[in-house]
This record gives sequence, structure tokens and C-alpha cells, in this order.
Amino acid sequence: MTIKETPQACPAKEHPPACTTPASADPAASAPKTSRRDFLKAGGMLSLSSLMGTAALMTQSDDAEAAAEWGEHFQKNYRLMTDAEKAEARLRLERRYSQEYGKQVTVDTTDAQPGVLMGYALNIRKCIGCRRCVHACVAENNQSRGTRPGEKIEWIQVLRMERGEFSKDKMGHGYPEGLGIQVGGNAYTPAGQVLEGQYHYAPEAVPEKDATYMPIACMQCEKPPCVKVCPVRTTYREADGPVVIDYNWCIGCRMCMGACPYWARRINLTTPVLPKEEMNPVTHYLGNRPRMRGVVEKCHWCLQRTRHDRYPACVEVCPVGARKFGNLLDPESEVSKILERKNVFRLKAELNTFPKFFYFYD
Amino acid sequence: MKKLAIYTLVAAFCGSAVYAFSAADKAAEPAPAAAAAAKEPVVCFESRKGASEITQQEIKPGLPNVKCSPTTGAALWYGDPYEGTVPMGKMPMLEKLPEGHAVVKPRSEKLALMPMCGTACHNGVGPNANPPTLPKDKRAKPNPTMEAMVPDLANLQHGRGRIWCMDCHHTTKRNMLVDHYGDPVSFDQPQLLCGKCHGDKLRDWRDGIHGKRIGDFTSTGKKRWFTCTECHNPHNVQDGARNRGFVQLQPEPSPQLPKGMKDAKHELMHPIPH
Repeated sequence: MTIKETPQACPAKEHPPACTTPASADPAASAPKTSRRDFLKAGGMLSLSSLMGTAALMTQSDDAEAAAEWGEHFQKNYRLMTDAEKAEARLRLERRYSQEYGKQVTVDTTDAQPGVLMGYALNIRKCIGCRRCVHACVAENNQSRGTRPGEKIEWIQVLRMERGEFSKDKMGHGYPEGLGIQVGGNAYTPAGQVLEGQYHYAPEAVPEKDATYMPIACMQCEKPPCVKVCPVRTTYREADGPVVIDYNWCIGCRMCMGACPYWARRINLTTPVLPKEEMNPVTHYLGNRPRMRGVVEKCHWCLQRTRHDRYPACVEVCPVGARKFGNLLDPESEVSKILERKNVFRLKAELNTFPKFFYFYD
Repeated sequence: MKKLAIYTLVAAFCGSAVYAFSAADKAAEPAPAAAAAAKEPVVCFESRKGASEITQQEIKPGLPNVKCSPTTGAALWYGDPYEGTVPMGKMPMLEKLPEGHAVVKPRSEKLALMPMCGTACHNGVGPNANPPTLPKDKRAKPNPTMEAMVPDLANLQHGRGRIWCMDCHHTTKRNMLVDHYGDPVSFDQPQLLCGKCHGDKLRDWRDGIHGKRIGDFTSTGKKRWFTCTECHNPHNVQDGARNRGFVQLQPEPSPQLPKGMKDAKHELMHPIPH
């Protein structure tokens, strides 16, 4: 186009050398448009407007599901959406979910509040491994809860780890077996080894005397590896801390699942199973709104609650009060007090992911 | 109205049949009828069994106040964190909290026997003594009546034999606890008593590090505070079977096994046998 247009912009007879310069990148200095371009543009506008007309017709149809799907095809990445577009998307989703689940569903789009940086702390000594947080999370966040493989999704994992012991009768054990001269026998007894932990423990009662428990979920890293690898930039860190996913832009490539060092992300391999009566109608766009098949999901610190100053669901049900949540920018918040007063560590701190999820102990 | 008519009919029938017991019958008869009409209410325990409980109901259509675990009967999700709460009352160092922003669930509701304690038996005008005399050696005498009502008393597991009843309970006002000055403390504010010895825990609890609070997470927001006795049984805080100051619980179900896996025995295998 540029080469074609240049002769018109610069008459050859006046300043031939000036015409060899390429067309300016400055839009103000652009060449006058040809009638052909105007024609194409008009044609484009016409077809676009007809498409939008169809979309408008579709969105007004009675089937909220179809309208929402149609609308979602033309939707931008959540971060690029204007307030009007967000409101439109919200309305569309509310209609769709309300129809699908037979109750009034709200889809919140509240933004991050200034002066808030969410932080989480977990008392590793107090956790009794009862898994109430796991199931509270499922009740709050509308995860798939079917029975067939891949249909049951839980965001929190509770890891049971054996307590190590040093005993006299094991003094001779170790490498080489029977002699234990190289590593000293007892050194091979497990003492809280993460990779040999159990996820599927099911004793009569917890806590067991010979075990410790370590719940793991998304750490909401300050430098999240999952965000770095996302090819469509659908997952990102919100201004108040949590790493969120715009489910509509997720292509299900699972790069983030591979990148996450904390095993925090889950994928909906199947169509999510979410019974109507169990569905939580209070949702957030970036949070617990029902997901579709083929998208990745994870903990987002209950954005639908925490954006309105409510504790996350897992914090509220922990029977031993091991889970703590607060604003890291507020020196009076419980998490700030913990960071100030207790012995705190981050999981896999050596990876420089800088989690905002802290483990502590008394 | 129809229901009311049925109840009246039932009551009238009972009244005519056995006049002398009419009052008792009236109370007894409508209960099964009401139970048949409405489903059995779901009650779940909050922190530990035997402490505070919550009854499931709907706040608005499709949104319950609490979700209970079908496996263990534990509260799993709060729709309304402030249900059934009252203001906590004065707490030292918490004055900066706005009025009514610290609420607790009254323990006195759960402790059904409590109103009786101070009036029926421990009223200070008992048959044996007026004013009541307490054993000089500060050793509780075995009391079958008391032990039948509160089984944990037979083997008090608190303080390793160095404390006795009157260190915590008020001498003459038995439906109250006692602080350092001998002043009565409500059962709804056990922290004022427990903090006498467990000061470090009280400090952490006050700052939200120890124990549990639900509701609004901002530092001045409205929260329901769980008091000491909602999580700890003061008569049985030390127990050899567990390794923490919290009673053992049945855990919730374990996660789904990976596709094609029959059990989770692989988790029990160690790379090096021991």
C-alpha cells in the first residue's frame, strides 16, 4: 500500500529525492486515503454492523445460554474490557447462570481496592488435617464435584507427613544396608519429606500422633511462574495480590499447570458437574463463577468474599484457627502481626516466586 | 391458619380426654405433627463436638446460612457469620474496636445446666453449710451427681493436678467464672479467666493470631470471635491420645484417586524401607 500511495503524496516533478524516504509512522503525516480504501472500509463497517446487529438480536433472545456464548465470542480479555463491556458481560453471565441454575445468581466485577494487599498465613503446628478447608472451598467456589475420573476438583490439598524418629534399634540401618556406615542408619528415617507425603490418608480421627499435616493451595506469588508462561495472558496478578484467571480467555493449554511449583492449578477435563442446589449464587467474574470444560482454575482467595472484606471460606471453617487472612499493608491486621511476631517461612522460597502465603508456627 | 386449627383440635381432644395432664399433652402433641410437616432441622457442630452448634436454614432462596458436612456433621461453609451472636462485652486492649464490631456466640445457651447451678445446688444456702464451706485442702471430693452431669470431671485433665474447681469457677455464683480479684466472669467471656495463666495465648488471641474469627477480615471490621471454650474443653485439655490442645475429629473424605488407580497404597511406600 505504502509504495503505491507514495507517488500520489509526492509529485515526482518537484522533489524526487524526498520521495525515496519511506512513509512516516506518524499518523498525522499519513498519505491521503484512496477511494478504494474508503470503499473497503465502508464495506467492512457494513459487514461488521450487520454482525453486531445479529449479535444484538442473539443477546436479546430468550435463551440466555446461547446469548452468552455468542457474546463471549466477541469479548475481549478481561483486563482490556471497558467498564461498559464489563457491565455487559456481567449482565450476560448473570442471565445465563440464573437460567441454568434456577436461582438468582450475581456475578460481581468489583475491582481491587486501593491500599489492600491480601496476605495469608497458616499455622503449620496447629493444622490437624481434618480437610474441612478443602470441602469449604468446594462449597464456596463451585468446583466440579462429580464421581467419574476428573470430575472432582479440589483446590486445597492436605499433605500428611510422617514424623521422623530416631531409635536405638535402627542404629545399624542405612547405606550400605546392614552397616549404615555412610549415612548413619537413622538418617534414613523419614522426617517430614514432602514428596513422600500422603494425600489420601483416611484415619478414624485426626490429628494422628505420628503425623503432621501441611495444606497446600495457590500461594498467590508476587512473581508467579504461571503468569509468565501463559500464552494468552489470561492469568495475571491483580493489584490487590491474588493471581486470577479470565476463564473465557483460557485455551486450556495447561502451561501454567506445568509451571506452578506448588501443584495449585486444576483443569476441567470434563464438563463440570455442579448440582443446582449446591451451586453458590454469590460469584465473582474472576473468582468462583461456574467454569466451562477445558479451562484451568485455582484458588483466588475467594475474591467474591475478600473484595467485600469477608474472610475466605477456608479461613472461616478451620476448626483450630490455623488459617489467617488479612491486609499486608495494614500493620494491625492479623497477617501483619504474624509476620512481625512469629516464625514464618514460605514454601519453596528458593524458587524466588515470593508467595504471599506464609506458613508459621508458634 | 389451617395448621393452627389442627393444633387447636388436637389440643382440645387431649384436653377433654385427660384433663389433668392437658398441659403436658398440649406440649407433646403438636411436636410430632410439626416434625412431620417440616423436615428434621440439620444441626452441625462448629469447632468441636459438644461446643457451639448451628442450625441450617435458608437466608434467602437457594442460599443457606450454613452448609454441613454429610460425612462428619461439621459446619463447612458460613452464609451468615454473625448468626445468633451478641456483643462480646468489654475486653481490655480491644477498646479501639468500634462498638458492636466484636461479637461472640453466647456459650450460656449451650450450657443448659448453667442457670440451675447457682439456684438449685450451689446457691450458698445449701443444707450442709451457710455460708458454704469449701474443703481446706482444695481437693474436690468425688461427687457422683456432678460427675453424671459433666463426665469430664471424674478425671480432670487440666493443670496436671495443680488446679481445682474453684480456681476457675466462682465460689458462690456457680454460673459464673472467676478472675484474679475474685470477681465473677461470664461464661461468654472465658478469655478473661483463661488469660490469667495463658497470657501469651490471650495476647495472640487478641491480635487474631491464636484462635478463630469469622466475618469481616479488616482490622476494625465486624467479626465473630470464637472464645476459648468453643474450641478447647477446659476440663479435658491434655490427653495422651492426641498431640495438640484440640480434641480429635473425624476427617472429611479424601480426594479423588487418579484415573485408573484402585487405592492409595503407593503413598505408604518409602523409597528406602525402614
